[in-house]
Amino acid sequence: MKHSVVALTVNGAERQVLVAPGTTLLDALRESQGLTGTRRGCDQGACGACTVLVDGKTMMSCLLPVETIDGATIDTIEGLTPMEGLHPIQEAFLEGFATQCGFCTSGMIMATAGLLARNPDPSREDAVRAISGNICRCTGYEAIIDAVLDAAARMRAAKRDKAA
Amino acid sequence: MLQTVATPGSLPETHALLSKLDGARLIAGGTAVMPTLNAGTDEFSSLVSLRAAGLSGIVVKDGVVTIGAATTMTELADEPALAFLQSALETIASPTIRNMATIGGNLFVKQPYGDLSACLIALGATATVSDGTATRIEPVEKLVASRLGPKDIVTQLAFSIPSPGSFKFVKAGRKALNAAAIVTVAAVVSVSDGVVSQCRIGLGGVAECAVRARSVEEALTGNPLDRTHAEQAAAKADRDIEPFDDSHASAWYRARVTPVHIRRALVGE
Repeated sequence: MKHSVVALTVNGAERQVLVAPGTTLLDALRESQGLTGTRRGCDQGACGACTVLVDGKTMMSCLLPVETIDGATIDTIEGLTPMEGLHPIQEAFLEGFATQCGFCTSGMIMATAGLLARNPDPSREDAVRAISGNICRCTGYEAIIDAVLDAAARMRAAKRDKAA
Repeated sequence: MLQTVATPGSLPETHALLSKLDGARLIAGGTAVMPTLNAGTDEFSSLVSLRAAGLSGIVVKDGVVTIGAATTMTELADEPALAFLQSALETIASPTIRNMATIGGNLFVKQPYGDLSACLIALGATATVSDGTATRIEPVEKLVASRLGPKDIVTQLAFSIPSPGSFKFVKAGRKALNAAAIVTVAAVVSVSDGVVSQCRIGLGGVAECAVRARSVEEALTGNPLDRTHAEQAAAKADRDIEPFDDSHASAWYRARVTPVHIRRALVGE
């Protein structure tokens, strides 16, 4: 069994990651990079807890053998979080009580980040679709959907302020 | 335990690796293969990824669309020429999975998943299969019902874009989004002089693989496309399906509702 070195840009930093065959991106992030904000839920692609952005698109990190994405750019919840304070999506989730146990939250927030990158002004239906791969077993979906829309409004407002 | 994961940069390299590596499994988006690996399978000892083999992309020319097998569902949904497929694609899994799952991989997903195969059957799509020395073209309805050889790779799919309004799709699941199929109905129906001149119907979720509803097609052809004739034709579907029990629905229920959803797909009521 031959290990290999995979180059990834993780949250803006270039990394060389040594992996055994079949190591998932989830394992590489959690075990090798110490980025435990990305959660291991089902390991089957069914729960969305491990959602990260790969080259700007939401993907389930438990379903990606890291050797197949050499050179990719990965963004995780840790990278989303600014040096000080919180990202507008995080603020919206926090202030909208869109977390209960919190286990699904980082996946929900990354799914939201993926949606808002493509669609800054989503409808409620768009928000529902965007998180349809993410399970909240506390079943707090309504507050999460509200938070996705609130996050979009906050980000649009921040963009307007910046332009003004 | 997995010994090797290879990401070849071309189709010939991929075939060379399949010859060299014993017990290799092809992987594209990973949404079907990785769950088995994560569950601890010993069915394969190597993975050969199609991610970098140059099999992605969509070409539309003279009304015919050719799609590389490693093209993702999201890439399909973003293609303006495939706007008619949008509502069908949105019923398949979640946006996150659609960023990963490929059109080629969808052909090999176990039922009751693989709704895109039902669409491809309705569209009369063909698949190009290469074994490294020869290339052949197979109808999707035949391909999904057969076993591929160890070196066979589906490289692309092709179909004619249906005339506006002729593609029809209904999927019944336990949830509105991100649900497996109880029954999926895809159809392309052409009407001329007030009667159905041609139709192809693909069904998912109601047999071991996606199937063509030939008995329904035959009953519908030559008749007006109205509720009465759609219902009469849909009633023939029991000849085309072999429904199964699973956690989503019983075989009895699938058989009971299949004609209803075929009628709804055909005439919208």
